[in-house]
Amino acid sequence: MGLIGMNQLTEEEKYEHFMKRIEAGEKIEADDWMPEEYRMALIKLISMHGISEIMGALPEKEWVPRAPSLRRKLGIMAKVQDEMGHGQLLLRVAEDLIKPLGKTREDLIQDLFSGRLKFHNVFHMPAPSWGDAGLIGWLVDGAAIITQTNMLNASYGPYARALKRICAEEVFHAQHGEAIIMALAEGSEQQREMLQDAINRWWESLLMFFGPDKAERTGSSKQDITIKYKIRTKTNEELRQDFFNKYIPRIKSLGLTVPDETMYYDEEQEKWIYQQPDWNKLKQIMKNQGPKSEERLKLRMTAYETNAWVREALGVKSKAM
Amino acid sequence: MSNQSHDFYQEFEVFSRKSDTAPMQYQFSLLAPNHEIALVMAQENFMRRESVADIWVVKRSDIRKMTQEERETLKRLDNKDYRMTKGYGYLKKKWRKFEQKMLDEKEILSWGGGGKQ
Ligand SMILES: [Fe+2]
Ligand SMILES: [Fe+2]
Repeated sequence: MGLIGMNQLTEEEKYEHFMKRIEAGEKIEADDWMPEEYRMALIKLISMHGISEIMGALPEKEWVPRAPSLRRKLGIMAKVQDEMGHGQLLLRVAEDLIKPLGKTREDLIQDLFSGRLKFHNVFHMPAPSWGDAGLIGWLVDGAAIITQTNMLNASYGPYARALKRICAEEVFHAQHGEAIIMALAEGSEQQREMLQDAINRWWESLLMFFGPDKAERTGSSKQDITIKYKIRTKTNEELRQDFFNKYIPRIKSLGLTVPDETMYYDEEQEKWIYQQPDWNKLKQIMKNQGPKSEERLKLRMTAYETNAWVREALGVKSKAM
Repeated sequence: MSNQSHDFYQEFEVFSRKSDTAPMQYQFSLLAPNHEIALVMAQENFMRRESVADIWVVKRSDIRKMTQEERETLKRLDNKDYRMTKGYGYLKKKWRKFEQKMLDEKEILSWGGGGKQ
């Protein structure tokens, strides 16, 4: 920009300058000029990502008191704590983006309670067995790692920096999940069945995790905007295919199957051909009408309300000063 | 409820040092109602595994950050060879002619005698 101040530019010139910056690989910072569409797309993406980390800890934390050994209990506790930490990082990034709109963390929490702020489809699902606990770490975190690493170079600096920290910890999450499923896969017939059941139960949710390949399937999709602004590079379908490439051979190598007998790899098209999930289920979940939506939201609400006095007590000193 | 008011939480920037001789490194920001809680949160949020020797929390409002325009003036042209060792790399060949080694960064910084500091 040199000697010309930003405020001397027209809106179009600002936009042009902004696009040049992100095309050159520069990072946009919280107080920089940015198009409204960019800010809104980031708020939507990052607040959902952040709140999903927190809601995502809920199905797993159910397994903390029931973990089969002390070491497994320590492992899953550490993992759940990491997810809460990811939530803290990401909400912080979202808060700086909503600040100019006069909003705060409190608004994000209230939006979650009122259903305006969504959380990821996988965290609306039940986790009835220890197999689910392992599967979440292995495949749900695996899917999350695929989408998160795709944004490590996001044009928005604070998000890229948060993701760098998060992905480093996700490596532990992936291995934690692998350790659990490996023990089950090499275990008794009953344990292998438990693992296969978990895969069958989660398969559809895992397909939906990446979002629809085209907007028609659910009525909306933000993938074009996030690609245009270099927040991510790959489409939903490309990410899903990456997931298949990484995990289908691993599932098969353990003698396990996915509940889609027609699925195969098409050498010519270089992609997996598979049955679409029932996208109506995703639409239901987006309205917080999934199997566990209400229960988990209620849990979050109760925790928020009954712990209000703790937050208040922690702040006492600052008020006295 | 008082903790729902807009000024309950403040923004803090977190810095930490891995070891006593490492530089202070920026970590991330967090929300806390005061410095004491900010310090506890910093440890919980950012230092769950890696070793750490010291942590600083600074209220964001006490930091004068650069604006976008100011940052854009920092861009350098790639014409500073004369200030950098890479502008003098040709000496390596010259000294070889005189059967001597060039005193490069690695060599000079080893003169303290202690190896790794
Ligand atoms: Fe996470
Ligand atoms: Fe994770």
